[in-house]
Amino acid sequence: MSCGGGSPRDYAAAVLGHRPLGDGSGLLAVRCGEIASCAEPGQFVLLRPGTGNDPFLGRPLAVADAAGDVFKVVYRIVGRGTALLASKRQGDPVTVRGPIGRGFFSARGEKPLPRKVILAGGAVGAAPLLFAARRLGLSRIEKTVMGVAGKGWEGFAEWLKEAFPGVDLFSGDGTLGTKGTVLAGLPGTLPADSELWACGPQAMLSAIAAHYPRDGGRILAALESRMACGMGGCLGCVIPTVSGNRRVCVDGPVFTAEEVMWNELSSC
Amino acid sequence: MNSLRADLSIAVGGLNLETPVVIASGVWPYDPVLWSPERLEGVGALCTKAVSLQPREGNRGVRVWETPCGMLNSIGLQNSGVRGFLKEYLPIAGKSGIPFLVNLVMESEREVRENLSILRESGDAIPAVELNISCPNADCDGMAWGISPESAARAAAIARSEWKGPLWVKLTPQAPDLPAVAKAVESEGADALVCGNTWLGMAMDLKRKQPVFRRVTAGLSGPAVFPLALRTVWQVCGAVSIPVVGCGGVSRWEDAAAMILAGASAVEVGSSLFADFDLPRKISEGLADYLADAEIPNLAGLVGLGRKEKEGGRPWAQD
Ligand SMILES: Cc1cc2nc3c(=O)[nH]c(=O)nc-3n(C[C@H](O)[C@H](O)[C@H](O)COP(=O)(O)OP(=O)(O)OC[C@H]3O[C@@H](n4cnc5c(N)ncnc54)[C@H](O)[C@@H]3O)c2cc1C
Ligand SMILES: Cc1cc2nc3c(=O)[nH]c(=O)nc-3n(C[C@H](O)[C@H](O)[C@H](O)COP(=O)(O)O)c2cc1C
Ligand code: FES
Repeated sequence: MSCGGGSPRDYAAAVLGHRPLGDGSGLLAVRCGEIASCAEPGQFVLLRPGTGNDPFLGRPLAVADAAGDVFKVVYRIVGRGTALLASKRQGDPVTVRGPIGRGFFSARGEKPLPRKVILAGGAVGAAPLLFAARRLGLSRIEKTVMGVAGKGWEGFAEWLKEAFPGVDLFSGDGTLGTKGTVLAGLPGTLPADSELWACGPQAMLSAIAAHYPRDGGRILAALESRMACGMGGCLGCVIPTVSGNRRVCVDGPVFTAEEVMWNELSSC
Repeated sequence: MNSLRADLSIAVGGLNLETPVVIASGVWPYDPVLWSPERLEGVGALCTKAVSLQPREGNRGVRVWETPCGMLNSIGLQNSGVRGFLKEYLPIAGKSGIPFLVNLVMESEREVRENLSILRESGDAIPAVELNISCPNADCDGMAWGISPESAARAAAIARSEWKGPLWVKLTPQAPDLPAVAKAVESEGADALVCGNTWLGMAMDLKRKQPVFRRVTAGLSGPAVFPLALRTVWQVCGAVSIPVVGCGGVSRWEDAAAMILAGASAVEVGSSLFADFDLPRKISEGLADYLADAEIPNLAGLVGLGRKEKEGGRPWAQD
């Protein structure tokens, strides 16, 4: 498959399965061979949650896994679009634009894969890391640290434990795993042969970047931004970086921590 | 597009378009893959992103915000300047074989004069210019050039004197008297009018209890604005004899047909491409079927047909 020459395409796809994880989160399996076979960990899709013109824009969702002609996404309800996703049943049609962006592998340029990777995820930020873990293989995963808010995330936490065997779980209110943020589960210094791959709320990512001020080149962070086109055209999703504005959709969503001007990021 | 059931080609403001579907400014990336003929099926022409004299960073903070059946944007004309455009992007645009228009930022008279003189150095490589007069007039009161007939005429006159090739002028619907602005621009020699740009709106962030956008207001586009845009197309087509290109909320072939019946010679499609890459092909096919079913031999025969009852057709619509 040519994989669109690297540029996304639109596909009419169908929901193959839906596994609610409780408290408004869930896992959707979508049948779309073109995206499933081309997607790389860290890449995402724009999924249009309805039909017609309302809601108007596709929702960016990370590819959480892909095999054969099926890819998966993990969602958590935050508004209207994600609530529509939560109501999808097997066989429902969805339109998907993808696969979009520079994932964890290609964001590293031509560098060989690191010997070890530490995965750090916050809430639904676990999604692209699951795909990354599958593609990296267990032997390269040094450590997996995940954080959730706590109460209301029980089902999601169960899924995290199932998806990431041996995960170190933290919660803000201490009701799930250890009380604290993912930072508490990360080593004080980054081992020499390791990279840290992270996805989660902006505050978590910038705290991680600040935690390893000298190792920004070995920290890969998958960022979020509001998007319209998901093809690099509208310039709606840009973030400030050391080399000027860059588009989260096609220049990212994975950036090295040293590229991002963390203090100048506005919240999503 | 050889498989169309009717001839959709039409001459608009100095350009020969194979179909009347033009990609609006600010939405299509300079991605060589997306500028390939295969990905531009059904497209008659493309407008580039805004090109200003100097590079512009664009706006900070939230830039896009979904609204019912549409969206607000406050991009701030981010671009790498005319020199950057010529060096990095012109080669990509030039390769598609489809005509394109350089969407020109106009903040001051000097800016547009210098910009056009730089573009002239590229000769025939630049097929046409689309002058965006929605920008604030930095020489005067900061109000958009396109708000009053006088300043719009001034903008058009300057561009006309510096650019002999096809010149489309893109109006702003914020003008209190759009037909008067359209006439003023026509009288300065514009080859076509684009009607029009985004509609000024705003959004409030209830969580932060402040406006979503740093500049408070932002441009509304998408299907939500279509009936408004259609009304302005009707009014402007009634006021001028040069071709008019309808723009605003076109998301289906029926919308394109409605604008053409109202007198537009072509349409521009912007935000709806965010929902569907393939829209230009679908619009072209829908229009061709519509013409074929109605036994109208060519697209020009549809232009302004919806006005016949009201006023006996448009003066320049060819039969
Ligand atoms: C690259 C990327 C990958 C993502 N991956 C996932 C994922 O795997 N699982 C998941 O649950 N969520 C993910 N998100 C966040 C997800 O896109 C938003 O939660 C979702 O768009 C909210 O839509 P809504 O209609 O429910 O909310 P509303 O607030 O009603 O949405 C209104 C508009 O704001 C946009 N929006 C709101 N919140 C965000 C946000 N955080 N990021 C970007 N746009 C937003 C929506 O897309 C929509 O255009 C990702 C975001 C990005 C940018
Ligand atoms: C993200 C975005 C960026 C835009 N940038 C420009 C621009 O640079 N110059 C311009 O003349 N119009 C710009 N526009 C306006 C569009 O070209 C078009 O006139 C408007 O969006 C209405 O059409 P639509 O409803 O089909 O989108 C932009 C619109 C959007 C949504
Ligand atoms: S979403 Fe349009 S450029 Fe990124």
